[in-house]
Amino acid sequence: MDIYEFGDWLAATAPSQLIQNVTWAIPTIQSVHILSLALLFTSALLLSLRFAGLGLTAEPLAQLAARSTRRIWQLLVVLAITGALLITAEPGRTITNPAFFLKMGLLVVVVVLTLWLASSARREEKPTGMQLSVATLAVLLWIAIIFAGRFIAYTKPY
Amino acid sequence: MQQSFFEWLQNTPAGILIGETWFPWVESTHVMFTAVVIGTILTVDARLLGLGLQQLRLTYITQRLLPLTWGAFVGAAITGGMMFIANATSYIHNGPFLAKMCLLVVLGLNMLYFHVVTYRNVAEWDTGKPSASARTAGLISTFLWLAVIACGRWIGFVSNLS
Repeated sequence: MDIYEFGDWLAATAPSQLIQNVTWAIPTIQSVHILSLALLFTSALLLSLRFAGLGLTAEPLAQLAARSTRRIWQLLVVLAITGALLITAEPGRTITNPAFFLKMGLLVVVVVLTLWLASSARREEKPTGMQLSVATLAVLLWIAIIFAGRFIAYTKPY
Repeated sequence: MQQSFFEWLQNTPAGILIGETWFPWVESTHVMFTAVVIGTILTVDARLLGLGLQQLRLTYITQRLLPLTWGAFVGAAITGGMMFIANATSYIHNGPFLAKMCLLVVLGLNMLYFHVVTYRNVAEWDTGKPSASARTAGLISTFLWLAVIACGRWIGFVSNLS
């Protein structure tokens, strides 16, 4: 079975049919996806600002980093579930779409960077230049992920 | 007369350029700015409702986060305006778009009341549990911003707009 046949098979399954046939399902799932993304992006932004000595500096670095990264993991779970539902509903729109693959590739990189930030912030008392660089790169990657996500709607699948 | 103004707007060089070329980029930028607006506001609302950041003073949180909120809001308004120019005649008949604009007005009034009236005795509840009217403002804000996201996403589902 190639990826096109898999897409056709998925689109014909009962869960996919259900999401496709309930008119409000897709925009509702997308709204939850965007809300989670908004909270995640803000957490990532506030974490990077904290490494730069800006934002919520009254909260100790280790505490803010632990809180932010825990929140990012929780939101990623919600994003993965809603994302999976959107793929299930419209496989032809996503799984052969270059913008979707770019988004997933960038996601892997930003998850690795966030794992490193989470572990390094536990050790260090004061923010390091390396942490600030990695956190800034992570924010830029989240921006690229937002763009790639929106471009799924404008990019032709293979 | 009204229709012709929006038609004119949409057919200005800027309207045509955005509509034909820039739209996906402008829209993505709008999503990014909106994420910061809503993310920071819901963080403040969560603090008002006792759902997070309890160890920090409310005035400290607002002082640190609201500049971000406003900066991002300006970005969201500019990119939103650019999207409107490109498809003005469609937006003015788009139910979710009109609902979203009404919600933003109500949210503005909620915020204005909070800052002008509710905030007067903030010293009394800055570190502890916010006053009943402050908690109400946070609850209204949370629900209406969720509705703004939903309306924003629905704009593309009731017309040829994305």
